Amino acid sequence: MPAYEFPGGIYPPERKERSNQAPLRTAPLPDVVTLMLSQHTGKAALPCVNVGDAVNTGTLVAHRDGMVSANVHASISGTVIEITDSAIVVQGDGEDRWATLPPLDWQTAERDALLERLDESGLIGLGGAGFPTYIKAQVNEHHAIDTLVVNAAECEPYITADDLTLRHYAADVLEGAQLLARLCGAAHIIVGIEDNKPEAIQALQALLTVSADSELLASVTLKMIETRYPSGGERQLIKKLLNREVPSGGLPADIGVLCHNPGTLLAALQAVRDGQQLVARVVTLTGDAITQPGNYWVRVGTSVDTLLEHVGVAREQLHQVVVGGPMMGAPLTSLEAPVTKTTNCLIAATKEELPPAPAEAPCIRCGACESVCPAQLLPQQLHWYARAENDAALEAHHLFDCIECGACSFVCPSAIPLVQDYRSSKQRIRHKRIETAKAEHAKHRFEFRQARLAREEAEKKARRQARLAQQQSASSDATGIQTAPAADLRSLRIAQTAAKAAVRKAEKVLARAAAQDPQQHHDDLETQLATAQENLKAAEARLAEARAASEQKEAP
Amino acid sequence: MSMMHAPQLGKAPSTAHVMRWVIAATLPGLAVMTLYFGLGVLSNVLIAALWAVAAEALVLRLRHRPVWPTLNDSSALLTGVLLGASLPPACPWWLIGVGVIAAVVVAKQLYGGLGHNPFNPAMVGYALLLVSFPTHMTLWAPPQPLWPDSLWPQIMGALPTSALDGLSGATPLDAFKHKGEAVMASEFWASSPLPEGTLAAWRNIALAWLAGGVVLIAKRLISWHIPVAMLGSMMLLSALFYASDTSHFASPLFHLLTGATLFGAFFIATDPVSAATSRRGKLLYGAGIGVLVILIRNLGGYPDAVAFAVLLMNLCVPLLDMVSVPRPVGQATARPDERKSAP
Repeated sequence: MPAYEFPGGIYPPERKERSNQAPLRTAPLPDVVTLMLSQHTGKAALPCVNVGDAVNTGTLVAHRDGMVSANVHASISGTVIEITDSAIVVQGDGEDRWATLPPLDWQTAERDALLERLDESGLIGLGGAGFPTYIKAQVNEHHAIDTLVVNAAECEPYITADDLTLRHYAADVLEGAQLLARLCGAAHIIVGIEDNKPEAIQALQALLTVSADSELLASVTLKMIETRYPSGGERQLIKKLLNREVPSGGLPADIGVLCHNPGTLLAALQAVRDGQQLVARVVTLTGDAITQPGNYWVRVGTSVDTLLEHVGVAREQLHQVVVGGPMMGAPLTSLEAPVTKTTNCLIAATKEELPPAPAEAPCIRCGACESVCPAQLLPQQLHWYARAENDAALEAHHLFDCIECGACSFVCPSAIPLVQDYRSSKQRIRHKRIETAKAEHAKHRFEFRQARLAREEAEKKARRQARLAQQQSASSDATGIQTAPAADLRSLRIAQTAAKAAVRKAEKVLARAAAQDPQQHHDDLETQLATAQENLKAAEARLAEARAASEQKEAP
Repeated sequence: MSMMHAPQLGKAPSTAHVMRWVIAATLPGLAVMTLYFGLGVLSNVLIAALWAVAAEALVLRLRHRPVWPTLNDSSALLTGVLLGASLPPACPWWLIGVGVIAAVVVAKQLYGGLGHNPFNPAMVGYALLLVSFPTHMTLWAPPQPLWPDSLWPQIMGALPTSALDGLSGATPLDAFKHKGEAVMASEFWASSPLPEGTLAAWRNIALAWLAGGVVLIAKRLISWHIPVAMLGSMMLLSALFYASDTSHFASPLFHLLTGATLFGAFFIATDPVSAATSRRGKLLYGAGIGVLVILIRNLGGYPDAVAFAVLLMNLCVPLLDMVSVPRPVGQATARPDERKSAP
């Protein structure tokens, strides 16, 4: 299979050797964990425990709210000591008692049971975007998926979490890939990996050679690609591996592909096979201010400060801590911040290592940014429009096709923080869209309220009807309800089917919108989905009522 | 978070760094030129550089902009050096001043400073001088000793115009242009129209500029697109002319190795601010310059034409930028989405 090319790209210093020399280790159990309610794309989870409750490792502490959201579990055993608007704090008892779910065999279990397990376990994409995995696994209900891509490119400098995960858990990652391939109906699995990870490649190759005749691994192809940033971008990797182009504003699913990060696949297998909720992940701890850099299994909610202390941080040299990679990551404002499900890397950098950006100079239109842009945009043109807040021109020049990889900022001789400008422009435009959609949103909320009232009314009537039917009263004609002609069962059944279809459509629209733009709030779509669900319940209640009524008529 | 700067991993060469390298890359060309045409070459560059820095500082002061940080980007200095390098040896100080003020004050700062000038500043200065002071600007003496006799009076502008004429020689391009319709190219060259060594001097200077340009491309401080497209289209078009009439049109090699061809291709046309930005746009831009240079040299009224060709193509840049938009990944076409840009 030949390798194809994506346009642009850069070769930043990799600095991966700092963290990929030591084997994968386990960070000590933290005394306290802070579990953020919003670690994922979509709405924050809703707490379902109280202060003082005893929890085990894996106990559900906040359940997902709406469709695009994810469960949050206690990552240590102990007591809930605080619940704030944004987080639940658990004081550990040091015993680490687990509350695992019953193990499942992914090859024989029902599809719905597997999807439910992914949902229950709070599984989200561990590569960075944090999209709920159970939604992604159902995408083949709307799109035919032929290929599952394991995104092991890990193109950002410094980060080696996927590398080490593959070295230690190659078999499990591939099994997790097969699990998700089964769920989404993909016949092929391609592992895309940059050629700067020889050990991980060796581990995968060994596995594929040993079990060459195994039916399971026959669908797996390993593909090494040249090390060039940002080959790990979903669109870039798909282009490189399959020569398919994800349409603008579209998703990989539109062209029959799903991408998953190795860490996510491992976590999916652990959730199914071992019944383990997502309470820990592999984090790269690196940077010149750390004495024992490497990769560690870290419990979600561990504070960054505790972790850095464990790996030996030279505080007097510490200039900043970056979450994520140096290209797309962001500096931490407080070391008290906890590790979340999407924290793949922490860089404790010295000033020499990641110096502050030099003062910005005027753009000289040199075009260096344009030649490295993997989306083939015109970064310098977008720069002018962004500074002028010319939103119409920004959208016309496809600002929203920007993947924010930072290649343009990296090569800019004038040190212009281009990606920063694009991000704030996107935010401004999103905000505007929300403002214009507000009236629409109010209308949808009103519709939801009407639907809820109608559902309650229908359910009340249905209950009454059921009671009456039970009583088998002979004087049934005394009540007002029965005086009305019995509703036509057939039309009610049609209404119920239509309501079901409306729910599925609302789910599809929401899942798509959330996957396309994870950073936008989709409350309006969640409201519309809730309305459809209320309508469905009401239709079901009416149908039940009519059935009860017709039975009652036949009875005497 | 979103308002914070992303961390800086390594550093791209800064604008100032690029400018200083371009200045450094002019040294071989300037050295060889000095060798053939005397210290008048260096006096031009020094005086122009001084004027440029002074003019930039003054305007920044008047515009209430930070003076030192801006001067530090060396862009004014570069403009001065390039304009100085374009002038005939030992120009009077006031003439250089007029050119530099047109370049730095009018063409650059009045448009908003670095990054905002639609025209190449050095070429605006040069074109203004060429049309305003043709006597001085066509005063290319034949190759001369390092320290010519009248160097000092010339720089001070103390030499009367009649004395200037006595010093004057012709550049090879100039001589060939004015050979007359009746004279065949072969007859013209047989008559040894230029003083001994003139052609070799121009060729060696051109090669020295080429050497500087190659360094810039090798160090990735300028992209290859504009020089390659410009030289390519020049060679192609001049070959066509030459093939059509060898007795009246000069050969491609003659066009390549005389006049400002190589200097212009690597040091003038590559000014990023006034050039097209996309790679395709740069190719079109460079090719356009090459075509105009040959058209003006062969059919127009000027012996050399790099300055006018560059300025004319500067005019076309907004158009080139519009037609050379690359197709964004995932989009069906390269065209900006006009539906979205409707107010």
